[in-house]
Amino acid sequence: MKQIQIPLGMKDTILEECRTKRMLQANIEKVFASYGYSEIITPSIEFYSTYQNAFNEINEQDMYQFFDQDGQILALRMDMTVPIARVCASKFSNSEPPFRFRYCSNVYKVRQMFAGKRGEVTDCGVELIGLDDTSDLEVLSLALDTMETFGIQDYQLEIGNSDFFKKACEHVCLDASQQLVLADLIDRKSMVELREYLEPLALEPSQRAFFQALPLLGGDASCLQKAKELSFTEPLKKVVEKLQQLYNQLCRLGYEKHITFDLGKVPHLNYYTGIIFEGFVAGCGHSVLSGGRYDHLLETFGRDLPACGFSVKVDYLIDVIHAPAEKKIRICYPAGKEVEALQRAKDLRKQGNVILQPWEKPEVEVFL
Amino acid sequence: MSLSVALTKGRLEKSTVNMLETCGYGIEKLRNKGRALVFPDTKKDIEYFLVKANDCITYVEHGVADIGVVGKDTLLEGGKDYYEMLDLKIGVCKFIVASLPEIDLMNKVGHITIGTKYPNVARRYFNDKSMDVEIIKIDGSVELSPILGLCDGIVDIMETGTTLKENGLVVLDDVCPISARVIVNKASFKLKRKEVMQFIDDLEGVVNHAQ
Repeated sequence: MKQIQIPLGMKDTILEECRTKRMLQANIEKVFASYGYSEIITPSIEFYSTYQNAFNEINEQDMYQFFDQDGQILALRMDMTVPIARVCASKFSNSEPPFRFRYCSNVYKVRQMFAGKRGEVTDCGVELIGLDDTSDLEVLSLALDTMETFGIQDYQLEIGNSDFFKKACEHVCLDASQQLVLADLIDRKSMVELREYLEPLALEPSQRAFFQALPLLGGDASCLQKAKELSFTEPLKKVVEKLQQLYNQLCRLGYEKHITFDLGKVPHLNYYTGIIFEGFVAGCGHSVLSGGRYDHLLETFGRDLPACGFSVKVDYLIDVIHAPAEKKIRICYPAGKEVEALQRAKDLRKQGNVILQPWEKPEVEVFL
Repeated sequence: MSLSVALTKGRLEKSTVNMLETCGYGIEKLRNKGRALVFPDTKKDIEYFLVKANDCITYVEHGVADIGVVGKDTLLEGGKDYYEMLDLKIGVCKFIVASLPEIDLMNKVGHITIGTKYPNVARRYFNDKSMDVEIIKIDGSVELSPILGLCDGIVDIMETGTTLKENGLVVLDDVCPISARVIVNKASFKLKRKEVMQFIDDLEGVVNHAQ
């Protein structure tokens, strides 16, 4: 049998798609570099235990796994943040923070279902390690400048803060497993099940109203005022005030019309520790940029440093962005005049890309 | 901005269209379908298309449809990458566990097999009960499988219970209730928040009124 299939979730990228992808990558990397971020390349294969150690909970089936010659479990990296945290805690253990790293690498995730999702995607991202939340503004500006380079007018960066949910949970004394269920319901805006779940919990009316309102507590900056009214403790008000301050700063930098908020954004509760954000562009059904603050990840590698970062999912952008058509100069030549044709091509390559094509006519001809 | 809405064909179709009509949407084309596949709303900037339940989730997850109307049964079995924003309270039924009366399924010692169209739902249910069961995927007439001796019990949808009764099966437990839900693509919710919320609010008004 001819073996022409590729494994589930894999994809060949060809022709225009390929050009678009490289163009996007180049533009993104240029912005990252202009903010002073240094590129980092790590191996595609990590020990499975590296990820196990980094995440409290890890879905084993999500990773491509295999063995090395000593029987140790290896895995294809599922993100770049963990490898960078590892590098930072080892290779840079004697260096002074902050560290600014950027990357453009393929990451892997096993997809169980035939839902058209990809098992290998290219992540272009940055990590700013060693600075606390005063550096959130820098990371957000970088994210916004990056989205600007996509060339799509209609884009939005949506900002949330996982502390808003966490501080509320702590105040009403929900245990860890309750928090996880609640976070999942709120994050998926499962309004029906959320109401059912909140009902039997011993909450005051203001607290119940808070959690029930969270999924829809978003949109333009006016929602922050509403968030403040719903805040039933001082620390919650502080979180909103911080977001308000961030918003004012971003407005002063001219990003106003691209900023929205979602206080009901609480993914990966055990991972993110402060702001979380996602970027959306018109025409694309997935978020194309995502990131946030993760102040406890580095600690799991033995170096306690705060950090914030994001990555762009270049592959989702390819569907909505098109690279300009490629121009090629064509030289047609008859048999016996290969050298002449190649000579002309050599000169013409200074002007543009040249392809050679044999033909039946007696002369060499150039088509610009 | 215009909205595209994927409606589930079949069981839910008529009651969904009725609800949209009560909202004051222009659904004439959905009533007189002919051979068309896409049905523009005659009053609002909305396009409807009719799809199979499973495809409804796929279309919404990929953002081809901004909004979908689909049964909770399908949602429980499929992916999770969408917002589930409203219970339409139509197409109400439930998932149940059933078996022949002579089999004491819940207390059986030894290997247990369960036939179902919904392997994920069945697996989750028995996991929560700390029961180790083998699940056999069956595509139609699930009631047949215990009668023929393929399985000890089934997990299936029950509306009235008539089919089960006629085949001599008894309900052992309810797994969970089912009804039609409105799901929304995550990016659409961000980029078309106003339009999406309008659609949800309109339908929610009808749901609350019906109660």
